[in-house]
Amino acid sequence: MTEQVPDPSASEAISVIVVDDHPVWRDGITADLERSGIAVVAEASDGGEAIELTLEHMPDVVLMDLHLPTVSGVDAIREITEHAPHVRVLVLSATGEEVDVLEAVKVGATGYLLKSGTAEEIADAVRRVARGEAVFSPPLAALVLSEFRRVAAQGSGEPGLTPRENEILRLVAKGYTYREIAERLFISQKTVQNHVQNILAKLQLRKRYELMRYAIQRGLDRSPE
Amino acid sequence: MALSVSRRAARDVEPGMQGLWFGVLVFRWASYAWMTALAILTREDLRAPGVAFGSIVVIGVWSLWFSVTRGWQRPLVLWIDLTLAAALLLVSGLVMQEGTAGEGAPFFATSYPATAALSVGAAVGIGGGIAAGVLLSLALVISRPLNGLPLVDLTPDQWASLVNGAVYYLTAGGAAGAVSRVLARSAAERTQAIEDAARERERAARLAEREALGREIHDSVLQSLALVAKRGTEMTSRPSVPAGEVRELVELSARQEQELRALLNEPHGEPPPGTVPLRTALQAAAFGVDTVPVTVSTADPAWIPASDVGELTGAVHQALENAAEHASATKVLIFAEQTDGAVVITIRDDGAGFVYDEGALERQGKMGMLRSMKGRIEGIGGTMLVHSAPGAGTEVEFRLPVQVGLG
Repeated sequence: MTEQVPDPSASEAISVIVVDDHPVWRDGITADLERSGIAVVAEASDGGEAIELTLEHMPDVVLMDLHLPTVSGVDAIREITEHAPHVRVLVLSATGEEVDVLEAVKVGATGYLLKSGTAEEIADAVRRVARGEAVFSPPLAALVLSEFRRVAAQGSGEPGLTPRENEILRLVAKGYTYREIAERLFISQKTVQNHVQNILAKLQLRKRYELMRYAIQRGLDRSPE
Repeated sequence: MALSVSRRAARDVEPGMQGLWFGVLVFRWASYAWMTALAILTREDLRAPGVAFGSIVVIGVWSLWFSVTRGWQRPLVLWIDLTLAAALLLVSGLVMQEGTAGEGAPFFATSYPATAALSVGAAVGIGGGIAAGVLLSLALVISRPLNGLPLVDLTPDQWASLVNGAVYYLTAGGAAGAVSRVLARSAAERTQAIEDAARERERAARLAEREALGREIHDSVLQSLALVAKRGTEMTSRPSVPAGEVRELVELSARQEQELRALLNEPHGEPPPGTVPLRTALQAAAFGVDTVPVTVSTADPAWIPASDVGELTGAVHQALENAAEHASATKVLIFAEQTDGAVVITIRDDGAGFVYDEGALERQGKMGMLRSMKGRIEGIGGTMLVHSAPGAGTEVEFRLPVQVGLG
């Protein structure tokens, strides 16, 4: 929203791979992004292709749908963030299906947008994600709040949210921008971003705990004799 | 699939009953062997050795046939078995030295007759087992006069021995019946449990399949709607296109997309009795607000009493109309959560905003809608707060005390 006019110095460096199984969408998004001065270096139509092309091109951002043939969006994100940790993944989903979106964020996506967003919103989100910002839409913030609430109710003693993080997440859920939150809480915009990033990190850490617990339960942590 | 599972369950049942029948047969043959051995050892004392050994042979042949053909599966065979056992009791009275039955001397039939009570009990159940026990007890009683001991002349000790025998037969029949009932019931329960599990698995698989299919369809419908909205918006800027008509189409598809997405993302979990998921109520309130996109999100779980839904959705709907019509907002966000015994609903728009001064608004005649919203919320025990400033949008906050547990 703050950068509706493409900023050449910033956008010059941004390279993107667009992943979507619907060719019409792929073309549309690509055209929109290029019009905003963002370079689409490759297009993929399924999860497997997305992984391959990402490892080949190492773009700044992978913009991907979650409903994909062959390898699912979530699995592709897991692969990408594991093998190319500096590549940011921005999820662009039509349904905003909660389980999928939350799962995508847990395995490493740094943002999520609905496909109904405008071309400017999408381009803006790509730039922010490329800068290393986490792009939390209000519904995603609400989802994350629910998730931490569920965890707290279980009382498993896993890292929860600090009161400040809670407050910030709530404001994001209400639709406040980072700038507005910063003004309201008398902190810098950078601090707001850090908080959001920490929330994301906690979510991803929880996922890792979950997998670890699962592995221990199944005895997968022991190497075969 | 369910069929093959239940058949396996039926086979699993067998070991229990098979064990019971094996025990009954072992008892039958052990008591038969003992009876034969005893008859041979005491052959000097028998009044009618021919009858005695004749009946031993008959019982032996019968038992062999009974064991080999699994005679207990047929009621008629069970009746014959029981009759033979009773007859053996009568024969005992006849073949033993006169006046020795129940007098400490080994009884000719030994405990063999109990095997008939066991068989009936195991095959028919407790009632049948006890009935068989009663019949055998009667035969035992009659065996006394046949042995030359009129019932009226029996000593207390002889009576005690008689009762002892009767109790023995009754217990054998009843116990076998009880065991077989327990086995049958647990087998039936297990079969039921296995069938239920199989059915549940099938149901879950079917449901998952349908859901996957649904997701696929929904995804492409939503994609198409979003695409129509997007391309339509671009078209409206071209000179040769009737912008107004296209704009209408765009709005229609955008609205459909929103409503379908809202339906798809119904909150999970079972609401406490008498409550409605907060998100469902808010989505209902957003239906029919056509000119501005409304995003509803909630931190779940959050429920509100069903009795408050009407007033709450009414108030929210008015807030949305306000934003759409008077504030000319381009989007509205609803966020709701349940914290510390209250449900808090925030409705935020990016519209013109205004100075919230009730007196001034009253004079301008703009207080009507606000007062109506406030009245609805206060009517169900809540409060309304409005934050707004010209150019800064409007935020309406409804706060409702709610006694519904978070689960």
